[in-house]
Amino acid sequence: MLTIDGSRGEGGGQVLRTSLALSVATRTPIVIENIRAGRKKPGLLRQHLTAVEAARVISGARVEGASLGSRRVTFAPGDVRPGTYEFAIGSGGSALLVAQTVLPPLLTASAPSTITVVGGTHNPMAPPFEFFERAFLGCVNRQGPEVHAVLERPGFMVAGGGRVQVHVKPAASLDGFELLDAGARVRREARVLIAGLPPSVGSRELRALVDGLDLRADEGRVDEVNAVGIGNAIVCTLEHEHVTEVFSAFGERGVRAEAVAGRLVRDVRSYLAAGAPVGRRLADQLLIPLALAGGGAFRTGPLSKHTKTNMTVIRDFLPVDFDVEDDDGATRITVKAASPGKE
Amino acid sequence: MTRKTVAIGLLGIALDTGSRGARWEKWRPTLSLCQQSDLVVDRLELLAGPRYHRLADTIVGDIAHVSPETEVRVHPVDFADPWDFEEVYGTLHAFARGYAFDPEREDYLVHITTGTHVAQICLFLLTESRYLPGRLIQTSPPGRHERDGVGHYQVIDLDISRYDRIAQRHAEEHAEGQSFLKAGIDTRSTRFNAMMERIERVALASPAPILLTGPTGAGKTALARRIYELKRDRRHVDGAFVEVNCATLRGDGAMSALFGHEKGAFTGAVTARDGLLRAADEGVLFLDEIGELGLDEQAMLLRAIEERRFLPVGADRDVESDFQLIAGSNRDLRAAVARGTFREDLLARIDLWAFELLGLADRREDIEPNVDFELARAAESIGRQARFNREARRRFLQFATDPTSAWRGNFRDLNAAITRMATLAPAGRITVDLADEECARLADRWRAAADDPSSDADDALTDVLGTDAVAALDRFDRVQLADVVAVCRRARSLSDAGRTLFAASRAKKKRPNDADRLRKYLARFDLDWATLTGAAGP
Repeated sequence: MLTIDGSRGEGGGQVLRTSLALSVATRTPIVIENIRAGRKKPGLLRQHLTAVEAARVISGARVEGASLGSRRVTFAPGDVRPGTYEFAIGSGGSALLVAQTVLPPLLTASAPSTITVVGGTHNPMAPPFEFFERAFLGCVNRQGPEVHAVLERPGFMVAGGGRVQVHVKPAASLDGFELLDAGARVRREARVLIAGLPPSVGSRELRALVDGLDLRADEGRVDEVNAVGIGNAIVCTLEHEHVTEVFSAFGERGVRAEAVAGRLVRDVRSYLAAGAPVGRRLADQLLIPLALAGGGAFRTGPLSKHTKTNMTVIRDFLPVDFDVEDDDGATRITVKAASPGKE
Repeated sequence: MTRKTVAIGLLGIALDTGSRGARWEKWRPTLSLCQQSDLVVDRLELLAGPRYHRLADTIVGDIAHVSPETEVRVHPVDFADPWDFEEVYGTLHAFARGYAFDPEREDYLVHITTGTHVAQICLFLLTESRYLPGRLIQTSPPGRHERDGVGHYQVIDLDISRYDRIAQRHAEEHAEGQSFLKAGIDTRSTRFNAMMERIERVALASPAPILLTGPTGAGKTALARRIYELKRDRRHVDGAFVEVNCATLRGDGAMSALFGHEKGAFTGAVTARDGLLRAADEGVLFLDEIGELGLDEQAMLLRAIEERRFLPVGADRDVESDFQLIAGSNRDLRAAVARGTFREDLLARIDLWAFELLGLADRREDIEPNVDFELARAAESIGRQARFNREARRRFLQFATDPTSAWRGNFRDLNAAITRMATLAPAGRITVDLADEECARLADRWRAAADDPSSDADDALTDVLGTDAVAALDRFDRVQLADVVAVCRRARSLSDAGRTLFAASRAKKKRPNDADRLRKYLARFDLDWATLTGAAGP
């Protein structure tokens, strides 16, 4: 049984989710200890429980210690069971993080799957649906499987109630890929989502985006969406020849529409200025599928603590190494088979 | 297996409201209860007036979004006036009584943030009294900079033994109370200390009668007074301590002394008299030797305990008195019941909290601390502190704790011995000579008492026969019968007692029938096995 120290790095839910995904994908029984040690509310929170439960369901795992506040969970998976599943996560919880936990093992399962997750799709604590669909799945689909996601209804923070469906057509195995340059720009899109708020909020945000990013009129729009409760998100998609990146910002009570748009403008500009195809968040997400493929490389900005932690967790499960080197002002990460004896 | 979390709360007809989309920007306690990241409410029992069914529907729908794990059950609970304590308490009490709690499988949280203050108080009371067998939970709104809007919660467990500091303070208070009951004497007998702990608990938890039994001089009166003082200090009583020895209440005056009389109730009743029960109103009445009380007085006393009212002699209207009864007895009241001299129903009533005080001879480990206590007491009365010299103390304690020392008068003997030595101590030193002299004196007294058949053994006889019947016996029979009674009380059965009593002669008999012989002997005094031992028969 593999022991994972849940307190390493930032010690958040990320270690838990990565461990669950790889435990199922590699059929490795694990025990995770010190879960969220040192936090104000230590141990498993309810969104983590949902992740554990989802991983259990798709693998028929034997689980111990999966209760609120628990700091130690043992998880012994069986074979991956492709199929049709529906999971629900309470307010604040991100439907996409649940999808990301169960997706890796399903990519190479013996049959297709359909995963429906009810919960938040646009909240500030997790990547929004568009990032998952365009940026992350865009890369995963280069590895062999065919995955597509549908946003049936957005779910904003507090009320939640969004609905995402993910269809997975698996591949026999995953291919690696190299993503060193973005290539030529294909398309830009800035989209403002508002639900239950005055339309002026959306148009002010859009105007600030158009000004800040020098967009053409046809590159931006405001969508009034149907959602439970109220919500506001702005999503900017930059589609290049070799990669699609997605950035987002969220409206908040007491924060001016222009300020919300300003945050997004800053993120987009610094991505473009860095000249690396993979943004910080995507870099973090690509590690698992590339490690499962056993090889690949990409260029990104400076490594976040999150990404470094993720690498150490992945190395516990898979015989891979991550080479990290400077490359023309950016960081180049190469995933390769671990050298013998180094395991 | 982890228990399910079940929350019970009222729909907040003010706090839980909010129109359309704007309600999501408003903190709503019942919703907040179901949104916490480290708490999953598996089931919510939502008490909502039928008038507010639309609000209830909205809340139920919103909970389904924010907490898909939660099942919500709406209970139609309505108050005509939500500020009317009686109505609100009655309604919530009825809900609690009708609810099928399953604490083995479910953990209950009582949400007190919604509803009127009156409803909060009622939920608190019902939880405190365990009609709602759970903990309280309170939700509170988010701070200014918390953007998730969920707010916070706090669980309040009313089981205060779970809080270390409070529990410690309580333990200290208990220890103080026990020490107080023991007059500050650091007693070592585990049985005695355990009993004091129990008495302390009972005295402060219940106004029910307490029965103290034990031999004369074991300290019943002193303990009764200390129980009273403890209760008074902790404000459980604010009346007086009234004590009387029932042996002094025989004859016509007994009724009037206890229950009072009207002016002119009988010859000599020149003025009205309140009586002891009335004097003990809101206080403690200590009836020592309660077994000596006449049957009429017993009947009246029983009613006074049960109904807190009684009829004074010559009165045509009840008077009331709310007193706590402490009864003392050195006789076996069960035997008195068997004999018909004590009411069984009264015994049942005062026997609920019965404590047997051991004589000093059975608490030898406590003699030393009591010697110190008596020395201090003697110093107070003589006005001069006397001390043993080392050898004198050793010799006195050796004598005092020797198994052959009878301590017939118990603490009375000890008190007298110490008082004598302290008074006679030259220059405040109790010398070896003085100690030896006192030991010899005590030994002499106890030997004389043992030789006198009218003392100890008589107590046992009086238990089974009653004072009058014993007085009518010849000394010849008294001595013999006393020994027979003593043997019977130690024996397991009639046959067992017979074998002991006729041990010499039975060896010579072909077919000994000791049991029959004993039965016939006892019958001469109208006694049988059951009366002697309180058992159902051989």
